[in-house]
Amino acid sequence: MPVPIIADPPPFAGGKPQGQPAQQAMTRAERRELQEKQRAAKAALKGQPPQPKESSQGKQSQGTVTTAGQAKAKTPSTPSKKAFAGDIQGSKASTSKDLSLGLVGEDMPPKQLSHGLRIFSHFGQPKPVGHTVKGDIHPAIIRLGLLYSDFKICGANARCIAMLTAFKQVIQDYTTPSHSTISRHLMTHLSPQITHLVSARPMSVTMGNAIRELKLEISAIDIDVIEQDAKESLCLKIDNYIRDRIIIADEVIQELAGKKIKDGDVILTYAKSSVVEKVLLEAQEEGKKFSVIVIDSKPLLEGKILLRSLTSGPNPIPCTYALLPALPSLLTQVTMVLVGAHALFSNGAVYSRAGTAMIAMMAKTNSVPVVVCCETYKFSDGVMVDGFTRNELVPLSVTQKNSRSHDIVPALNLDNLNPLYDLTPPTYITAVVTEVGLIPPSSISSIPLALGKASL
Amino acid sequence: MGDFDIYSAFQRILKNDQISTPLAAIFALTELIENSDGIDLIPLHRSSPAHSHLAGTMFELVKALNDGAEALTKQASNPISLNAGCELFIAFVTLFPHDSANFTDLKKELIRQGQNYAAEALTYRKKIAELAFGFIKDGSVILTHSYSRVVMQTLLLAHKRKRISVFVTEARPRGLGIKTAEVLTAAGVPSTVILDSAVAYVMDKVDFVLVGSEAVVESGGLVNAVGSNQIAIIARAANKPFYALAESYKFHRLFPLSQYDLPSHNSKILSFPHPLPVDIPSTINSLTKQPLPESSTSSNNEPDPIPPRITQEQISENNPDVDYTRSVLLSTSTVRIYNTDVPNDN
Repeated sequence: MPVPIIADPPPFAGGKPQGQPAQQAMTRAERRELQEKQRAAKAALKGQPPQPKESSQGKQSQGTVTTAGQAKAKTPSTPSKKAFAGDIQGSKASTSKDLSLGLVGEDMPPKQLSHGLRIFSHFGQPKPVGHTVKGDIHPAIIRLGLLYSDFKICGANARCIAMLTAFKQVIQDYTTPSHSTISRHLMTHLSPQITHLVSARPMSVTMGNAIRELKLEISAIDIDVIEQDAKESLCLKIDNYIRDRIIIADEVIQELAGKKIKDGDVILTYAKSSVVEKVLLEAQEEGKKFSVIVIDSKPLLEGKILLRSLTSGPNPIPCTYALLPALPSLLTQVTMVLVGAHALFSNGAVYSRAGTAMIAMMAKTNSVPVVVCCETYKFSDGVMVDGFTRNELVPLSVTQKNSRSHDIVPALNLDNLNPLYDLTPPTYITAVVTEVGLIPPSSISSIPLALGKASL
Repeated sequence: MGDFDIYSAFQRILKNDQISTPLAAIFALTELIENSDGIDLIPLHRSSPAHSHLAGTMFELVKALNDGAEALTKQASNPISLNAGCELFIAFVTLFPHDSANFTDLKKELIRQGQNYAAEALTYRKKIAELAFGFIKDGSVILTHSYSRVVMQTLLLAHKRKRISVFVTEARPRGLGIKTAEVLTAAGVPSTVILDSAVAYVMDKVDFVLVGSEAVVESGGLVNAVGSNQIAIIARAANKPFYALAESYKFHRLFPLSQYDLPSHNSKILSFPHPLPVDIPSTINSLTKQPLPESSTSSNNEPDPIPPRITQEQISENNPDVDYTRSVLLSTSTVRIYNTDVPNDN
């Protein structure tokens, strides 16, 4: 996360990137510079980071990039926005001083990974480029990228809503070039924004689905429509998407899953899912008498947030908080396991926070029903058979922020590996609660057809 | 609704032993529409003219149907298959194209369609019997559970052309299995009643298990007379196929997560009785000595508490009527008849 400083504005500021090949060279130079810097930083691990100079450079570079972008695409960007973006970059630089010490490991390029981790390199090593801005990126997207890479916005729903909201701003601030039409050009304007977000954190299935829907809407714009009208109708479509596929879907799921909670039940949940949280709070609101076991695990310890929200209300739910190793001893008293999902694949497999598969497997062997709450917009038409082919690693910065001091610090022969997700096979799942009803995981693939869609 | 009592109509229809619960519910709701003359008059008496006469009355009709369904569900002992019929019919009424000239015509049309459907549904068992015929090989030994009309029809049809013999469970507490055995024996099918507790004993002699169904639920699982689940588990353990026969009107929008998630489950089922108000040793005494002759217990000079007697009624009261069989225990080919005339909510 603190990388922006170490990552190098100077080349940008120095050489004037105008043509495409020049830019290419520049990025290569950039990379070289970056590695040198990292080496230097490693050598002077305990040394004092040259803070003030870099932070000023950060701001400076931000300025240049924006102007360059303006020159290229003639995007009208108000001064206030520029200031905003600069602000973020500035504050970033100042806050990152304290963290940069422990964070050198993150900047290791993949080739420096130890042998053991090399087989996980396809998970996408946290890239140092998360904060360098290439091309004409809207300030709202830059801001969002930072929030993503810091895990400040985390969770499939939150990320998707935040992205769509940011896109609304991008669309409002967009002007079609004179020689093109909005239906043809807007997507080329949006794709670098998407690329920037993906460089901050790999794209979630939800974001992919929403972007696909957005592309479809953009391509369907009539070329005779006035630009402002087209933009407004797009924003409306985005609002509708958020409302129909996420907000209302969650409400229906709350109702359906709430019906399965009865007096005297003990509900077990893992980590934190926004929709599970709503289901539990809603059931409590209805006066049901049940208790909750929140199982959590390192490195993110998201369960603590859920625990806080369940116990902090006017009538708190009786909760038990435990870490994953305590699962077997607690599972005997559980009547239902309720978990959220990051995505659902068409073979019925649930892609969710790492540890969910273990919970589901143990619950199955104890014949406790496992219920997954998942909106239909999280469905992916792909098939996934294990959590190894595709995954994401928790960046070291986030891990270390959560686990105070006494933690294993990566050394020469020691690396941290924290996959973010795992895959629960359909056999371990009793039911999936969606806004179209409770369905067995084996029938997932028929839902898009039932909704009258050729694809999601 | 007025003086029309839907439950008595339902009971009257159910007396015909060819009509199953969901169909009886559909017939009863059709009668409800016939007797709903009062309903469509209400908008005329309204002070404010209803701007959409048809919609208003449709709304009230559907409301009356929902109320009727609720009244039925409340009074019936086992609401699951009843609900399936009610839901099917109400979904049909709601989705029915409203292109009749006036509401009276529409109602007539609805009644006609409802009766047509129910009449046609009576032929489903024959279709199922023909479809299931292919599953039954000559010389098969079949295990069935309790009494099911569709299973009876299937077995009797199979008997016409193939040699079959049937084991049937007694199905306590109602003992409906005895009825199955009697009918089959009368038709010339060799059949034996076995105890519910002897299913595992007999399983190795059986070629496959064939049961009817109370409802087929969204998980693909089966709700049927209690005991079906344990038969399915034993069949799976012995690697014997387990087939369920279900008419399409038994498909139900329900997703039970476990046995205790069924709508028929209530707190009375499997409840523990209040302990007797005596000190514990004497309770144990009276319980353990109960099988012995009465005289031996009267050695105590204290006035004896009435020794607890457990009657068949108490047992059946504390026990479920139906249980839920998970879909994985069913063999893949549950014989189903789909019907396209009526919107099927599955």
